[in-house]
Amino acid sequence: MELIAIIDDDSDIIEASSLVLESKGYKIVSASNIEEGYKLIIQKKPDLIILDVMLDEPDDGFFLAQKLRREDIKIPILMYTSVSKTVGMDFDASEIVPVDDFVEKPISPDELILKVQELLKKN
Amino acid sequence: MENINPKILVVDDEKGLRLGTQRLLENEGYFADTAENGTEGIVKALSEDFDIVIIDLRMPDIEGIEVLKKIKENKPNTVCFIATAYASYETAVESTRIGAYGYIPKPFTPEELIYQVEKAFTHRKLLLETERLTREKEERLLEIASEKSRLNTIIKSLKSGVLVINLTGETAYFNSSVLQLLNINELNLGEYVLDKLPNKINEMVKKYLKLEEDIHKSYSVQIEIYPGELYIDAYCSPVPNPDNSLAGVVVIIRNITEYKRIELVKNQFVSMVAHELKTPVAAVLGFLKIILDPNLNVSEEKKTDFLIRSSHRLEDLLHMVNDLLDISRLELKNKEKELIEVNLLDCINNVIEFLHNEAEKRNININFENNIKDPVITANPSEISRILTNILSNAIKYNKESGNVTINLGINSNYYFIKIADTGIGLRPAEKEKLFQEFYRVKSEKTRGISGTGLGLSIVKRLVESYAGKIEVESEIDIGTAFTIFLPIN
Repeated sequence: MELIAIIDDDSDIIEASSLVLESKGYKIVSASNIEEGYKLIIQKKPDLIILDVMLDEPDDGFFLAQKLRREDIKIPILMYTSVSKTVGMDFDASEIVPVDDFVEKPISPDELILKVQELLKKN
Repeated sequence: MENINPKILVVDDEKGLRLGTQRLLENEGYFADTAENGTEGIVKALSEDFDIVIIDLRMPDIEGIEVLKKIKENKPNTVCFIATAYASYETAVESTRIGAYGYIPKPFTPEELIYQVEKAFTHRKLLLETERLTREKEERLLEIASEKSRLNTIIKSLKSGVLVINLTGETAYFNSSVLQLLNINELNLGEYVLDKLPNKINEMVKKYLKLEEDIHKSYSVQIEIYPGELYIDAYCSPVPNPDNSLAGVVVIIRNITEYKRIELVKNQFVSMVAHELKTPVAAVLGFLKIILDPNLNVSEEKKTDFLIRSSHRLEDLLHMVNDLLDISRLELKNKEKELIEVNLLDCINNVIEFLHNEAEKRNININFENNIKDPVITANPSEISRILTNILSNAIKYNKESGNVTINLGINSNYYFIKIADTGIGLRPAEKEKLFQEFYRVKSEKTRGISGTGLGLSIVKRLVESYAGKIEVESEIDIGTAFTIFLPIN
């Protein structure tokens, strides 16, 4: 079964997301900041990365996504956002950020499973 | 001007005629004086203010024409008659050319003279009235000119830019602020200016000049001149002629950099607040959706765990909303506070008592050292408690298990100081720098599980500063952190 890495600084979100995805048989690894997250991705080579936008810094998620793509790591990234449109952070997923899809928190179990399945199927 | 007794001078070398005329005029209510030759006539006419002068054409010393010339040169409003027995067409024309009002042929009848004099006096009044009006007009023009220069000085000294553009796109007027605010090096009056203006202003002005825009409407536009450094607001208004046709466009340029900066800070803050409020809501909703999802087989034990976590998250959220309300209240600086005498010693002891259980849970020992008597300040007791509770609570939360907290109360020049030092995780320099920012929380393996809103220290700082006090931090990573609060003694 596929391995999914969740990188989020909110342990409740990691736990909730893990429970939902584990119910479908996925294996989960997690990290709470971009340094740990990066190490985890290099070591475990997950099939999918779920990445929160705002970690220690408001744009840490974007920063890590960019770093991975620059290093030619093409693992699909599903980005968690809590405020999708705020002043100074307007973004268009396809143009600016090298991620494959967005999920706005709060996560509904069905939507999360659906998006994960779609992204895994594509790759 | 309502001269009831007009003054008349009779210049004639013939004594009988001179005195006869004088008597006649005096009988009619005029004031009459005489001169027996041309020279005396000129002296009298120029030194006194006569309404009318009657000059004999032939006199032994000077010709009457010369006397007339002298008087008219110096007193153009004096009405002069030439009187003569040798009337000729040429002298009549000549004397009129020089400025004689009339020509009285000698001998004249009293009626003739009075008639002429009355007419002349009416003319004299008109002349004086004209002179008065002319003088007034000149004075007013002078006034306008000085008003104009005053206005000019005022506009030139304005911090806002004023730029007037005529129909052909040339500068009709501008002050030096225009150059500064639009970053233009050089501009001359009458120079074609549209190409030197930022695009947005250029377009707006052109719309007016091409008459595409209603000349009764004004528009404003905000432009970034130097990104992040200079923002301006340009307000364009058409200048209509009295007949409503367009005379030109006036552009008022204001520096709005500070306003933009505040707007940015406000937007960032709102965005941050939205994020901070949404995060716990998202976590709780995530849990609830899992609990309510029929497809997920979640154990009862897990469900209870999620509900307890949700409840904690909501408590934190409530705490945060209250903190935010406190901050917004603190921003209203003119709010009324109840100020009483607060004994800092009692206050510190109360706070230690209040946090006693929390300290005990982590086996933390609190030492309080004080050697001053009755440290009393005028303050709001709940605000002072809030400051101390916040700092002491942090000193407990971010301490090591079985660590120490040392509290010192003392005097430093004009301040009471309260130093609260812990033996906790300490701060990195970068963390220390951000410590008082709203929502900033130190995130590390060691701080996981410590709850907080990220607003506490920001509130403390605002409170301390509202008493003209200050707060200082010393910290060393893994050794501990010490906060010192300074409150003015009076």
